[in-house]
Amino acid sequence: MRFATMLSDVLPSLFKSPMTEMYPFERKEPPVHLRTLPSWKLEDCTGCGLCAMDCPSQAIEMIVLDKKAKRFVMCFHVDRCTFCAQCIYSCRQGCLEMTPENWELATLNKNALTLYYGDRVDVEEVLATAASSKDAQTTAG
Amino acid sequence: MEEQQEVEQFMVPIGPQHPALKEPGHFLITVDGEIVTNAVVRLGYAHRGIEKATEERNWVRNLYLLERICGICSHIHATAYCLGLERLAEVEAPPRAQAIRVLVAELERIHSHMLWLGVAAHEAGFDSLFMYSWRDRETVMDLLENLTGNRVNYSANVLGGVKCDIDIVQADTIFMALEFLQERTRHYLDVVTSDAMFLQRTRGIGVMTRLQAEVLGVVGPTARASGVHRDIRAEAPYSAYPSYPVRVVCEEKGDLEARFVVRINELFESYRIIRLILEDLPPGELREKMPRRIREGETVSRVEAPRGELFYFIKSNGTDKPERIKVRTPTICNMMSVVKLAIGHQLADVPMILAGIDPCFSCNDRMIILERSHAKQEVWSWERLRQHGIEYYHGNHS
Repeated sequence: MRFATMLSDVLPSLFKSPMTEMYPFERKEPPVHLRTLPSWKLEDCTGCGLCAMDCPSQAIEMIVLDKKAKRFVMCFHVDRCTFCAQCIYSCRQGCLEMTPENWELATLNKNALTLYYGDRVDVEEVLATAASSKDAQTTAG
Repeated sequence: MEEQQEVEQFMVPIGPQHPALKEPGHFLITVDGEIVTNAVVRLGYAHRGIEKATEERNWVRNLYLLERICGICSHIHATAYCLGLERLAEVEAPPRAQAIRVLVAELERIHSHMLWLGVAAHEAGFDSLFMYSWRDRETVMDLLENLTGNRVNYSANVLGGVKCDIDIVQADTIFMALEFLQERTRHYLDVVTSDAMFLQRTRGIGVMTRLQAEVLGVVGPTARASGVHRDIRAEAPYSAYPSYPVRVVCEEKGDLEARFVVRINELFESYRIIRLILEDLPPGELREKMPRRIREGETVSRVEAPRGELFYFIKSNGTDKPERIKVRTPTICNMMSVVKLAIGHQLADVPMILAGIDPCFSCNDRMIILERSHAKQEVWSWERLRQHGIEYYHGNHS
């Protein structure tokens, strides 16, 4: 039977400086296996859509414009992603990758959280189609 | 003067929303002065319909849904699901993957037990133990983050293997962290077995005999604190446990102090197993190819979660989606022991007795039985269920 058994921890802490990390002024190195934004190699993609099918949070949309001409656009919703990396393991061509860089994803603009990967012309076409369907909806509403 | 014959019972309702409860649950405690004479528990406030949701998703997506049943022991849920599904598909994960699964599971057990130590100490009003044990828990959280990429919901598993590998640098970091944790754990064992104030809240409180433990069907460290030698890792070794045998940690006294001692001693056992794995990690592949459609059949998968036996029933109809997945988490087995053990104790001891089983309410809320008095089974339509809800709440609140 003893009293104040945690005193040996508490007393030395009185003379220590606070442990709070001064983020964002001091930045730590991200962990080696940290999963962040995926990168996509269009040239290897076959547009099979397995990544979208296996995504548990439906963060990936594979938009196939022309399968024969390999015109694919990948729409990636950053705000839905749980960073489980299943898409990387589902991809048979190995065209997806997650690296520890770009982990600071906070933004004040929600539109910045929808990313379009693909050829510039194809992405513009997808965006134009999306904008026109939105206009049609607004008119109808 | 005629004495009043019938003494009205005084009932204390606690929850479902209550400052002392971290998760929703309802306890109706009947007291005579400060002594508890009866206790009733009602669960189901955190029911999320996960089992039904699994039937709408393919096998791969379900892995991540089931991992989110519990925020603390997420890896063990994914492991139980993977092991069951791999057996059904007749695919065996490579030995290195099995060892890494066990390694992450043991790291998870360390973080879960240290979290529990803090929570239980906080319930007893011992906040310095709570804060320092949680500070040390950060060490193991950092290890998990370094190894898998996430602090919680690690997603270390993939159907047919694991995602993460361990290199020498990471193994060294784990060895060093274990040295520190082992020293701290020795200190905590000393604190919980010798602090006079703390022992007043734990020694001789909530005593559960071995017979009671067997009759109530409790599992995990709660049962082992009452001398029940029951541990799935030793009874039915799964994954890589046959290569790294576990010594079952038991205590005989069955009180709250014994539950503290069992869980802290289990930490030492986890350190030992992690060291064994790191010293003798089998080489080879990390993943085996899994078919997208799983052949028709059903299987049962049992694993030892930090709170006790976790049970999965998986039924496949030959498609890429499950026909039925049933999960039974350890808290549901242990919950009934709380209402039995609380009787005869002071009301102030009830939070400690509840914390003693390491409850996880969201985990266990699987299904609500609407009509307990009727034995017959029937299917309710959505309209009828809604009508029942309206009538039930109208009746209770008018």
